[in-house]
Amino acid sequence: MPNAGLRVSHLTKRFGSGDTEVVAVRDVSLEVAPGEVVLIMGPSGSGKSTLLLMLGGLLKPTEGTITLDGLELSSLSENRLPDIRLHSFGFIFQDFNLLSALNVQDNVAIAAELAGAGRKAAVAKAAALLTELGLGRRLHFSPEKLSGGEKQRVAIARALVNNPALILADEPTANLDSSHGHETMRLLRDIASERGRSVVIVSHDARIKDIADRVLWLEDGQFKRVVEMATDPVCRMSVERELAVTGVRDGETYYFCANGCRDEFLGAKAVPV
Amino acid sequence: MLRLAIKNLVQNKARLIVSVGGLGLALTLILVFGAVFDGAKSRLTVYIDKAGADVWVAQDGVETMHMSNSFLPATVTDEVKSVPGVQEAVPILYATDIIQANGKETLSYVFGVPDNAPLGKAFAIVEGASMPGPGEVIIDHSIAASSGLKVGDEVTVLGQMMKIVGLTSDTSSLASSVAIVRFDDFTKARGGDNGTISFVLVKVSAGESAAAVASRISEGVSGVTVQTREQFAAQERKLVMDMSGDIINIMNIAGFLTGFAVLALTVYVATIARRKEYGVLKAIGTRNRLLYLVVLVQALLSVALGLVAGVALTLLLSEVVPRFNESMVLTLSSASLLRVAIVSVVIAGLSALLPARQLAGLEPVAIIRRG
Ligand SMILES: Nc1ncnc2c1ncn2[C@@H]1O[C@H](COP(=O)(O)OP(=O)(O)O)[C@@H](O)[C@H]1O
Ligand SMILES: [Mg+2]
Repeated sequence: MPNAGLRVSHLTKRFGSGDTEVVAVRDVSLEVAPGEVVLIMGPSGSGKSTLLLMLGGLLKPTEGTITLDGLELSSLSENRLPDIRLHSFGFIFQDFNLLSALNVQDNVAIAAELAGAGRKAAVAKAAALLTELGLGRRLHFSPEKLSGGEKQRVAIARALVNNPALILADEPTANLDSSHGHETMRLLRDIASERGRSVVIVSHDARIKDIADRVLWLEDGQFKRVVEMATDPVCRMSVERELAVTGVRDGETYYFCANGCRDEFLGAKAVPV
Repeated sequence: MLRLAIKNLVQNKARLIVSVGGLGLALTLILVFGAVFDGAKSRLTVYIDKAGADVWVAQDGVETMHMSNSFLPATVTDEVKSVPGVQEAVPILYATDIIQANGKETLSYVFGVPDNAPLGKAFAIVEGASMPGPGEVIIDHSIAASSGLKVGDEVTVLGQMMKIVGLTSDTSSLASSVAIVRFDDFTKARGGDNGTISFVLVKVSAGESAAAVASRISEGVSGVTVQTREQFAAQERKLVMDMSGDIINIMNIAGFLTGFAVLALTVYVATIARRKEYGVLKAIGTRNRLLYLVVLVQALLSVALGLVAGVALTLLLSEVVPRFNESMVLTLSSASLLRVAIVSVVIAGLSALLPARQLAGLEPVAIIRRG
């Protein structure tokens, strides 16, 4: 599937011109495969939000192309973007942004209805999804009655309800305590793995590294360092590939936190690299 | 999306109450004023409607009773009587006068009616005689009550002291009332018989149409303007409409502006308060026109509730007010209901306009970018 997933090439965004010109994103290229979680980190003002907005079709790039499942977004007319956003993207925001007048179930169903589902089908889909995410007993609650973690799960359900190819999350854990933050991260991981979605997260929460397949460091609008992450098959710790101890078994490379884990994994057949 | 509009609307109860209450009052202002006016209008032509005449004969060129003077030679009565199809022809005298009693003055339409005339006499008698004798007058009972008068008391009519012998109902409006005296007393009060009368009231024979007889009279008798009862009453109403149209318009505009201000403000505030939520909806792919629709539906629902409140209040007032002041009748006509309904829809549309512009300019980007 050469066209599957997200492909970003030579993306640049300039604000203003002349003396006041700001290059927020500078010649960024990136590919995210279905099932992959990419974390974009970087200091404030490095261009993270700008990049995310462009990926979500909310901001037009100055240069470069964004292709999602073979469809080039940057070539689409302004008029088609709302539909693309409804069907192909799921947005998750830092402060949840649920509709306060609607109950939990309707907050999710409305996205399905907007995408063209009938009321009954939309409600059924919303209820099923929310139940899967552990909110089966909260369907008729008002959002304000929920904890932060529950709110974020509702937002995730809303992002998922139209089966989008790409989930874009902006600081999804920033407003959550550490246990709810963890729960949200695990959910995003599962969404990528089990549902085959591409997930792009913008955050400066280092804990998210644990669930990311790749961590990109954005600075001054450019990727400075690509951190490929891997999970130690023995202790399940998340490790940076570059810094990890590696070993090969049956022709495949594995990454370990330390020699101890590697030795345990490879046993007698150890072939150190 | 309809659900969202309704839920948004009812979520903030205080705002909903202010907006529906304010709108209701503004629309009530328009409705009540119209109802008072319509009520007064129906009372205005009460004598024309109930005097029993099918056809009214006036001086040539005189089409209304108020704001004009009709002088006919007394001989016209017999000429009219001889026209085929005329069963009865009764001459009456008419003047606008101030009735005085107990230091209180009331504008009145005074009619001089011949003794035992088959047409033009007092109707809806609630107390006393139906025919005044010499030096006697019949007036409206609510006017009498408000001046503290009863049968047997004296009032000044056409400059003469006269004794009240009968009281009628439904013959007063906010503007005036009906008083009936003897034809001869009227003539005397005017300074003697000068051989003129005001109108000739005509009853047509059985099987004749008023319109046909009216045109026969106007062909057969010279120097007269002849109208059927309905035509005469319609001219009368039109006259008052023309005279008070400005006041009506001012009240309508005041009500419209008040309602508009209340709704425009609440819809605007409600939209601004949900800026972020609308921004989220836009970010996930909601089109502008759908968001406008949500705001418009909220405005329309508020207006519908306000209209219901306004109509209910007006109906209540039209029940209650006449119990305190019988001269004040409130008639809620379907025409004025329709007018107010249209005004309401216009208010809703205009109120949704400014917030719609706000939504159009709303950047979904603002959701993610917060400093
Ligand atoms: N609409 C805009 N107009 C001008 N400059 C902008 C605009 N949006 C962002 N920038 C600039 O682009 C740079 C990157 O901003 P942003 O993408 O918000 O960074 P981050 O999300 O990493 O904090 C900053 O220097 C910022 O001031
Ligand atoms: Mg940012």
